[in-house]
Amino acid sequence: MRNLWRLFAFDVLAPLAAIAALLAIGVVLGWPLWWVSVCSVLILLIVEGVGVNFWLLRRDSVTVGTDDDAPGLRLAVVLLCTAALTAAVLTGYTHWTRSDRDFTNDSRKVVQVATGMAEAMASFTPNSADNSIDRATAMVVPEHAASFKEEYNKSSAELAQHNVTAQAATLSAGVEALGPSAAVVAVVLRVTQTAPGQQPSRVAPALRVTLTKRGSDWLVAEVLPIR
Amino acid sequence: MSDGEQTEPESREDSDEQPEQDADQDAGADEDESDGAVFSNYGIASAVLGVLSVAAVVLAAVIWSAHRDATDERGYLTRVMQTAAGWTGVLINMNSGNIDASLQRLHDGTVGELNTDFDAAMQPYKQVVEKLQSKSAGRIDAVAIETVHHDLDTEPGVARPVVTTKLPPFASRLDSVMLIATSVSENAGAKPQTVHWNLRLDVSNVDGKLMISGLESIR
Repeated sequence: MRNLWRLFAFDVLAPLAAIAALLAIGVVLGWPLWWVSVCSVLILLIVEGVGVNFWLLRRDSVTVGTDDDAPGLRLAVVLLCTAALTAAVLTGYTHWTRSDRDFTNDSRKVVQVATGMAEAMASFTPNSADNSIDRATAMVVPEHAASFKEEYNKSSAELAQHNVTAQAATLSAGVEALGPSAAVVAVVLRVTQTAPGQQPSRVAPALRVTLTKRGSDWLVAEVLPIR
Repeated sequence: MSDGEQTEPESREDSDEQPEQDADQDAGADEDESDGAVFSNYGIASAVLGVLSVAAVVLAAVIWSAHRDATDERGYLTRVMQTAAGWTGVLINMNSGNIDASLQRLHDGTVGELNTDFDAAMQPYKQVVEKLQSKSAGRIDAVAIETVHHDLDTEPGVARPVVTTKLPPFASRLDSVMLIATSVSENAGAKPQTVHWNLRLDVSNVDGKLMISGLESIR
């Protein structure tokens, strides 16, 4: 009875668990070529070991699991099995759990940055123009910051001339596309322009904000009107 | 010969019942053991590794099921966007030539309040479309699951109307999709007329079938 469960645990279950763990790593990684070769070599070794083990069982009626003189070998078998399973869990964690969590966090963050950027860009107050533009340029990738600021100043010059105040608020926003280091967000704003002595006018422009990830921050690469 | 070795609860299935069983066996086998140790160091190490292996298997199952849920969710949202885009495709390609057939198709894709009040809800869109000539084409510019939504028309200080659930009967969930689209109609001799659409569509899941349950212009 005792020998039976030791045979089951050490000679059958442990190698099967190790093989399953190796295959699981392949599934998580999406079977890249290097893992296909590493995995087939390792599985071949395991299968060979199991084969030799059962040949010994037939010859000597003793296996790794039931041999009382070889506890070290048994420990090594369990160690390898645990190592394979742990490796599978770690691979699953980094490739699935963490990337899923990053995806959720990123989708929230990019929308936040994109709406903040769009609002800052479309807002304009004649006397405190710098305030709004500084807020916006802080969110732009450094290499585009200068050209962006120039463009903003150009478009706001006219508004300043007529003493127009523009107030932008986000009506609706959503992620169009999201990758590990790039994202596209669609934003619909409500821009209310007020000029002294005139009825406020209201428009709802739709913008497409392209973002890239720098380090852990999402920065705006481009803001374009959709259509 | 180390008899303590035998008490290794390595096997996952056996781990909870094995110790007692082995203890009985040990009682017999250990009679000639001088040190009387039930577990050898190898046995303890194997048992610890065995427990670790079981924990790893459980963790792997948790990771796998969480990932499957996340993948399913993304797949579902993709289907939601496809449904919304398909429906809007009919709406924005509607023109005076195909208005009846289009309205029928649109009506078939709706559920809940939008379905019962379809004619009233479509009235403003119908008016726009009737202005378009029969040679018109629509194009969807952007589709996204709406994650930020601000209702800017609620005045501060004024009590908001009580929002009863928008979920139509039998629907299990509802997602909002924002769509930005353009219809261009070419008039003979005149310059092309363009209509811009900023739409918000509510997509409901009714028994696995995705239906449109709300239509709104984002303004």
